[in-house]
Amino acid sequence: MNPFTPIIKGLKITLDHLFKKPVTRQYPTERPKVSPRFRGLHALNMSHDKAKCVACYLCPTVCPAKCITVEAAEDANHDKYAAVYEIDMIRCIFCGYCVEACPVDAIRMTGEFELANYRREDFIYTKERLLEKK
Amino acid sequence: MVNLTIDNRQVTAPRNATIYEAAKINGIHIPILCHDNKLKPFGACRMCLVEVEQMKGRQIPACTTPVTEGMIVTTSTPDIIKARKLVLELLLLNHPLDCPVCDKGGDCDLQNLSYDYKISSNRFHDQKFQHKIDYNNPLIERDMNRCILCGKCVRICDEIVSFGALTFIGRGIETKIGCEFDEALNCEFCGSCVSVCPVGALLARPFKFKARFWAMEKKRSICGYCGTGCNLTLGVKEGKVLTTVYDENQGFHRGQLCVRGRFGYQFINNEKRLKKPLIRKNGALVECGWDEALQLAASKIRNGSETAAIATPRLTNEEFFLFRKLMKGIGSENFDHAAGYAHKALTSGFARSLGSAASTAMVNDIQKSDMLLVIKTDSYETHPVIGFEINIAVKDKGVKLNIVSDKNGKLGKLPGARTFVHLPGSETLLINALCSSVIKQKLVSSTAASLPDFKEYAKGIEAFSPEKAASLCGISPEEINSLAADFASSKKAMILFPTGVAYPGHDSELATALANLAILAGKVEGEGCGLLCLPEKNNSQGAVDTGFYPTGKGLDALSVFDAIEDGRIKTLFLAGENPVVSYPDEARIKRALEKLDFLVLTTLFPTETAEYADLVLPASSYAEKEGTFTSAGGHVQYFAPVIPKAGDSRTDFEIISSLIKLTGGEAASNPSEIFAEIASTLDGYAGMTYENLGENGAFTAVKTRPALILPQTQAPALRKPEEFSLVTGALLYHNGTLSQFGEGPMHVSPESYAEISRKDASRLGIKENDTITLTSDSGSMQLAARVSLRIPEGVVFIPNHFSANPVNAIWSGKPVTPVALSR
Ligand code: SF4
Ligand code: SF4
Ligand code: SF4
Ligand code: SF4
Ligand code: SF4
Ligand code: FES
Repeated sequence: MNPFTPIIKGLKITLDHLFKKPVTRQYPTERPKVSPRFRGLHALNMSHDKAKCVACYLCPTVCPAKCITVEAAEDANHDKYAAVYEIDMIRCIFCGYCVEACPVDAIRMTGEFELANYRREDFIYTKERLLEKK
Repeated sequence: MVNLTIDNRQVTAPRNATIYEAAKINGIHIPILCHDNKLKPFGACRMCLVEVEQMKGRQIPACTTPVTEGMIVTTSTPDIIKARKLVLELLLLNHPLDCPVCDKGGDCDLQNLSYDYKISSNRFHDQKFQHKIDYNNPLIERDMNRCILCGKCVRICDEIVSFGALTFIGRGIETKIGCEFDEALNCEFCGSCVSVCPVGALLARPFKFKARFWAMEKKRSICGYCGTGCNLTLGVKEGKVLTTVYDENQGFHRGQLCVRGRFGYQFINNEKRLKKPLIRKNGALVECGWDEALQLAASKIRNGSETAAIATPRLTNEEFFLFRKLMKGIGSENFDHAAGYAHKALTSGFARSLGSAASTAMVNDIQKSDMLLVIKTDSYETHPVIGFEINIAVKDKGVKLNIVSDKNGKLGKLPGARTFVHLPGSETLLINALCSSVIKQKLVSSTAASLPDFKEYAKGIEAFSPEKAASLCGISPEEINSLAADFASSKKAMILFPTGVAYPGHDSELATALANLAILAGKVEGEGCGLLCLPEKNNSQGAVDTGFYPTGKGLDALSVFDAIEDGRIKTLFLAGENPVVSYPDEARIKRALEKLDFLVLTTLFPTETAEYADLVLPASSYAEKEGTFTSAGGHVQYFAPVIPKAGDSRTDFEIISSLIKLTGGEAASNPSEIFAEIASTLDGYAGMTYENLGENGAFTAVKTRPALILPQTQAPALRKPEEFSLVTGALLYHNGTLSQFGEGPMHVSPESYAEISRKDASRLGIKENDTITLTSDSGSMQLAARVSLRIPEGVVFIPNHFSANPVNAIWSGKPVTPVALSR
């Protein structure tokens, strides 16, 4: 084969791209639009100003990364609620099993994916933090 | 045996088996909801429907139908599955389906069956139940909305517990399980109903929402309270004991537990548990390291002749054995347990009358007997699960029950049971009268008559003829004669009696008197016969077997306190005991403890006694260690640790082992080696190893050599008319002082009280819960009054478990203490 053919082929591709619309997204100035099915940071759903979660322990049971901590407690009406609900985002693998397991539609996954942080503790999402994500 | 075919398999089953049982024995699964192998067949749920060819293919319940020869059974056909699905759909019709918040989820028969039979929709529609949930007691939540009316709770409370708190009320769709007049549950709180409920209608409140069933490890252990030796399954999560789990295949009692066993486990993870050794510096207890603590203890106990040790009967056999070695090693003979007198029935009474310090009967003799003679109705309170065995024996097996007691009680309410209420403190006298009556009525067995000491004994016992004894014990000669005849002429008869610190009257003399009765009637040994001593604590029998009591010139526990006062004993080693609260005469115990040069205490909790200690060593509970316990009737059972040790605590085994090394001895470092030594030195334990004890344990071999010995019997002092006779005893909800650290028992029985008869109460104008003052020679105290029908006139009963206001303020260890009572 002519030793120049591959070089010419390569340059042709380069030339092609010079006249195409660039695919690079100018993140962070330019933000992606995530699909509704995107599996990002969790959020706890609310109903009547209260977390819907009834602390059934199904999500911590099903979670393959074992990153969910639930501690149930009894409220004044003898009802069950999650006194502690925490997700360790360092360990979460965003599989979405928790959402699927929840019998009361108390947890969903949002489009939020910017989860970087400076300190390890900040990756622990407590009930309050998860509830804020309306 | 009967031959039949189940699902095309040729199988055999016992003649009296039901189809369900026959299938189960042969490994064929038939779903059930309302059946329990401990209860009588009921047939309420129709989940177990099967087809029997001989019955023209009709569907019949397997749990109530007995097998017959040649029966051809099919357990699963499309029709049967359809029928079972219908049953489930109808059950789910009004069921709330709140599995996410229901504690039974994951362990629920209804949930599991709905899953197995794929019930994902319902063809029927109706409203859900709207029953009010009973939150009135702290231990059992009753949510009748989830009830499937299987009736198991009703039946277990009646058939086994014999309390009868629950029943069906209402008709048709309105039917529900309720208590008397549909009021709140107020019962023994044994939790048996909770354990058998197939759904989440009855739940243990102390465990509510603590963990899911599947998230817990289920670990076997032995109950650490009384001498019954019930097996436990503990639900453990993250190193904490969260609950007890019902296992119907466990132990002679098939998973049955009493309130202490089921709801009293919280002491294990109680926050008050000691985590670090404490040393007294400048008058205050401060934390220190183990090395320092052990060095100090070793240096203090080194002078054996001035050292004594008293242990709680809750230590393991291995610990007792090692402890004895330590004491012998330092040259001390002064070691004892259980206040020094609570074991005398065995160590002195049985030892001289029967030739060994052990019971001749076992717990499983109870149901095989023809007649039970129970000393004190308190036997139910001290050993509730043995009480269940008695209930079953009487109600199911037709065993006769005779009770001699100083008060009435629950056992006496069993069908056909007779209670002979004697004057307090006259039990030995009464048993002597029974013996004398057996001789008079010529009912003496030939073996007894041929004993060398028979003649002399018969002569001596004449002084206790029923006529003479009657006025002293308050039971008529006719009754004594009839009871004696009843006992001696029963083919099989058994004697049961509790011992314990609260029962000083149950001493060697009573044990000898009872042994005489059994010997005379020829009921010492054999199936359904014998004497069964019910020792107070989980390893009281083991403490005796391993010889942790003084012989020869050693001082017994109470003499140790005398010796402290006159300066002969300077160092005291208390292992787990809390004598300030549980031993007689609080003032004297405190006086002695104050006088001590050095008190070292191993304990789980900072008890009242710890306030006198110079060194407090945090010990581990049974759930944190390995060893064996020997329970009533010589049942040796092995248990392994289920959780890590609390804080820096160490087992008594480790502590004693270190002390042996520090005092120049040699000690095995693990319990199995010591157990091997026990097995090779104690005849009763010969051949036992941890491996062959396995899950079922083994029984100690008992050799008997009956001898008739006349017990020393004192007539109870006649009380002055204005005085009351104080008797101490145990409560159903407690065992020793340990149960005070279990939440469950304290929820239902938080404080001490003085129980008096209704007649006395109305005579003195005392009402329930009035504060009354009791004064004896040794002190005075105030308690809330409890007015009851079971106490005879002139008697006041006070339990001995409570640290707050302990009874030993006025009780000096006599079987009966005269007290003045005022408002
Ligand atoms: S599965 Fe749902 S209800 Fe259950 S604990 Fe998780 S979030 Fe709460
Ligand atoms: S009883 Fe069983 S089926 Fe009913 S709510 Fe509880 S777990 Fe679910
Ligand atoms: S706790 Fe025991 S006594 Fe009370 S209702 Fe249940 S079974 Fe009966
Ligand atoms: S409460 Fe439980 S055990 Fe009792 S009948 Fe209902 S389902 Fe059965
Ligand atoms: S306290 Fe005694 S009777 Fe009750 S569960 Fe424990 S061993 Fe059994
Ligand atoms: S299990 Fe047979 S009818 Fe309920």
